[in-house]
Amino acid sequence: MSAHLETAGIYVHVPFCLTRCGYCDFNAYAGLDHLASRYVGALLSEAELAAPAWEGVEVVSVFLGGGTPTTLEVADLKALLARVRSVFAVTPDAEVTIEANPDTVDEQKLAGLLEAGYGRLSMGAQSFDRSVLAALERVHQPASVIEAFRAARAVGYDNVNLDLIYGAAGETLESWERTLRETIALAPSHISAYGLTIEPATALGRQVARGDVPAPDPDLQADMFEAACCLLGDAGYGHYEVSNWARPGYECRHNLGYWERRPYVGLGAGAHGYRDGSRSWNVRPPEEYLSMIERGELPVGGSENLEPADAYLEEVFLRLRILQGIPASWVDDGRADPYLETGLLIRDDGHLVPTERGMLLLNELVLGLTG
Amino acid sequence: MDTSHIRNFCIVAHIDHGKSTLADRLLELTHAVADRDMRAQYLDRMDLERERGITIKAQAVRLTHNTYELNLIDTPGHVDFTYEVSRSLEACEGAILLVDAAQGLEAQTLANFHLARDAGLVIVPALNKIDLPAAEPDQRAKELADLLDRDPDDILRISAKTGEGVEDLLKAVIDQVPPPTGETDAALRALVFDSMFDPYRGVITYVRVQEGELPSGSRIRLMATGAESDAEETGVMAPEPMPVDALGPGEVGYLVTGLKDVHLAKVGDTITLAGKHAAIEPLPGYREPKPMVWSGLFPNEGGDYSELREALDRLKLSDSALSYEPETSQALGFGFRAGFLGLLHMDIVKERLEREFDLELIATAPNVEFHVIKGDQTTVVHNPAEMPVAGTFDRVEEPIVFATVITPKEYLGAVLDLCQSRRGELVDTTFLTPERAEVHYMLPLAEIVFDFFDHLKSNTRGYASLDYEPWGYQESDVVRVDVLLHGEPVDAFSTIVHRSKAYAYGKQMTERLRELIPRQLFDVAIQAAIGSKIIARETVKAKRKDVLAKCYGGDITRKRKLLETQKKGKARLRKVGRVDVPQEAFIAALRADAGAKKK
Repeated sequence: MSAHLETAGIYVHVPFCLTRCGYCDFNAYAGLDHLASRYVGALLSEAELAAPAWEGVEVVSVFLGGGTPTTLEVADLKALLARVRSVFAVTPDAEVTIEANPDTVDEQKLAGLLEAGYGRLSMGAQSFDRSVLAALERVHQPASVIEAFRAARAVGYDNVNLDLIYGAAGETLESWERTLRETIALAPSHISAYGLTIEPATALGRQVARGDVPAPDPDLQADMFEAACCLLGDAGYGHYEVSNWARPGYECRHNLGYWERRPYVGLGAGAHGYRDGSRSWNVRPPEEYLSMIERGELPVGGSENLEPADAYLEEVFLRLRILQGIPASWVDDGRADPYLETGLLIRDDGHLVPTERGMLLLNELVLGLTG
Repeated sequence: MDTSHIRNFCIVAHIDHGKSTLADRLLELTHAVADRDMRAQYLDRMDLERERGITIKAQAVRLTHNTYELNLIDTPGHVDFTYEVSRSLEACEGAILLVDAAQGLEAQTLANFHLARDAGLVIVPALNKIDLPAAEPDQRAKELADLLDRDPDDILRISAKTGEGVEDLLKAVIDQVPPPTGETDAALRALVFDSMFDPYRGVITYVRVQEGELPSGSRIRLMATGAESDAEETGVMAPEPMPVDALGPGEVGYLVTGLKDVHLAKVGDTITLAGKHAAIEPLPGYREPKPMVWSGLFPNEGGDYSELREALDRLKLSDSALSYEPETSQALGFGFRAGFLGLLHMDIVKERLEREFDLELIATAPNVEFHVIKGDQTTVVHNPAEMPVAGTFDRVEEPIVFATVITPKEYLGAVLDLCQSRRGELVDTTFLTPERAEVHYMLPLAEIVFDFFDHLKSNTRGYASLDYEPWGYQESDVVRVDVLLHGEPVDAFSTIVHRSKAYAYGKQMTERLRELIPRQLFDVAIQAAIGSKIIARETVKAKRKDVLAKCYGGDITRKRKLLETQKKGKARLRKVGRVDVPQEAFIAALRADAGAKKK
């Protein structure tokens, strides 16, 4: 739908974790650390295999996600970024993010990451309430988040995101507001706050299905979302995506690329890549990924070519997630009216943009607008 | 044929008291069926009958025993089919009154016994299942003897299962049941006591010739409908069809009428010969089948209205009691409002539509027929939607039945409580034996179609039995209760109930719907109302959250598919005003109500 001058992001997936959290359905594994050095080697190879297809495309962001990328050694992470920079056209000011678990980083490691070129740190804080962390099966303590965050600041990290999750069993609105205040007190440059989603194929999903754990109350989660909008807004954070807030200028460029449907390269087990209306993804099991790379093959697990209707639906549901919204001309006459009248959408400079209430009902908006 | 060697008889019995098993033994005893062809419940034709262990359509079988021609006329055994029973009885001179020696007399047996006695039949009483450990033959014999005003020693004791006493019973039938009478020379008058549609041969009737002769191939006339045709074949069931040249006075057999529409040859009609040999007077007692219970039938989601129409049209060919007319429901789409003889009949029709025509149906809660009276004008209402607004008529009358309940005395209190709570008026209570009571009540039929059987069975641990017959119409303070979603009435949930039950119905439906209606973008009021007066209200609070928390590079394909699935789901929703309602919600709300039909 749009012909940007071609810029892209690179996502690198690291599937290792210290433990597997009950709510997480990502392609992540505990107890596979022994594969780490082979895996880094495979990533280096895959970068080389993939790069020729992206010749001439400017890479403006690199994102190491997982899993827990900080389970890898600094030396490996440094080599990895160096390889990416050498085979892709990464711009000098590219945004380079690494996700970190508070328990896997100390001042020394953080200094090493910064020095290696990882200029943006995204840390999984999740909550400052012990009982919420326990309900999420997170092994860290609230104190270690504060410690890790201060360490990051101490070694010179300016751009730090904290991830939060709300709506776990037992969490109250008051507890969530305390978590928000403590987060604000640390003054990170970026905050992601996610309503807990129960994924069926997770330990938590099975507990909820059995009735051992209550499913999140959607109304309470809505209250929590509104609390986040208020408190974070008052603290000067801009709400630029459904679950993301940032100080001006600190919006995550890499993630914006997904919502604006810019191309991205996916490296690593299960990573997705997208370009020109087609998407492909690597095989998910780390061992399978390793053996394909080691045989010199691209580890493609699947792909899809988007039909115009698919592309339209994606464009609408992704762009409505961000403040930019969608051009009003994309929507059939009259479809937007009920939502404009009820204050779920506003019209801004020829665009339809969801309000905060509208963001909470985004699926309804998407279905209503696309018919 | 010498009529002195003919015996026409039937078996009057409650469901499960062993009628079909006794028929099997009689077939064996008279060598009517070769051993290798014998199967259990031989005479129950339709799969449905054999599975449910009940007989829907009457059948007549000719047995031959020591120079006697014995015609066993199998009667339907359910309260819905009282009229059909009465016509079958008209074809007989005698009846075996078969009672389970463990269970004793049941309400239905009693009702059919009264019918048989009123029809002038000679009663041959027998206790069955005497081989059962729980059998109490002495007590049951006394009970029966009291009823019949006979000596307990006259009551035969048999086991249809083992065959014990069956030959004596057959002998008793021959000795006690009188032979039929009737002049061969008289104008033909033959009673149609059953009628069915065969896809290959058209309408086949079962007839009892009262007088005159019905030759194969003659031109016949049905006196009630006026239909005439060339009869293709006369015959007897022995028990497989066996053509005969003619059926004479007193004889029972089948007639392939040559007609293509079963409504031209209804149960109770009189067949005579066309032309100058026609009889003048038909046999007495003909009655049009009259639906008592009505329900809306709609194709399930994605189902086809025209398929349902075709299925009903075909079913009607073999079921002259079924009637229906097109109905449009804003909630359920196009369908039919169908009339049935009773709840069992309704159940059978629904099951046949689903089984034989592979349809999935939604049925609205059954209701009875009301008479709305203004001045000297009476409007018949059998669809709640047609009920006029209060204040525009003088009064409403509802059907009342005379109900008989037989119950062990320890449950008598429970039975009285139930009937009382269903607006019943006690007529009398008598004791058949010191342990078993017979209760008569005047009950509104509307109360019976509304889960009465379920409660009767559960309140008496299955021991009580019920029978009822129409009594007439009676003024009643009934009201139409509408259910509204966000101010819009949902026609499928409208019902007509007595004013004293309106609040409970309204509360039950609104509460149930609150659980079933998905949350919308606005608060949805669910209200029950009588006219403009709201009697119950629930609210489905507006949905506030429906969003994917995370959507990054690796999530997009999966989330898009999720949205596509939601989109398909949304397309299947039905709109009631502004409210989107999944069809499952309608079905679930209606299903809970329809519990009345499970017995």
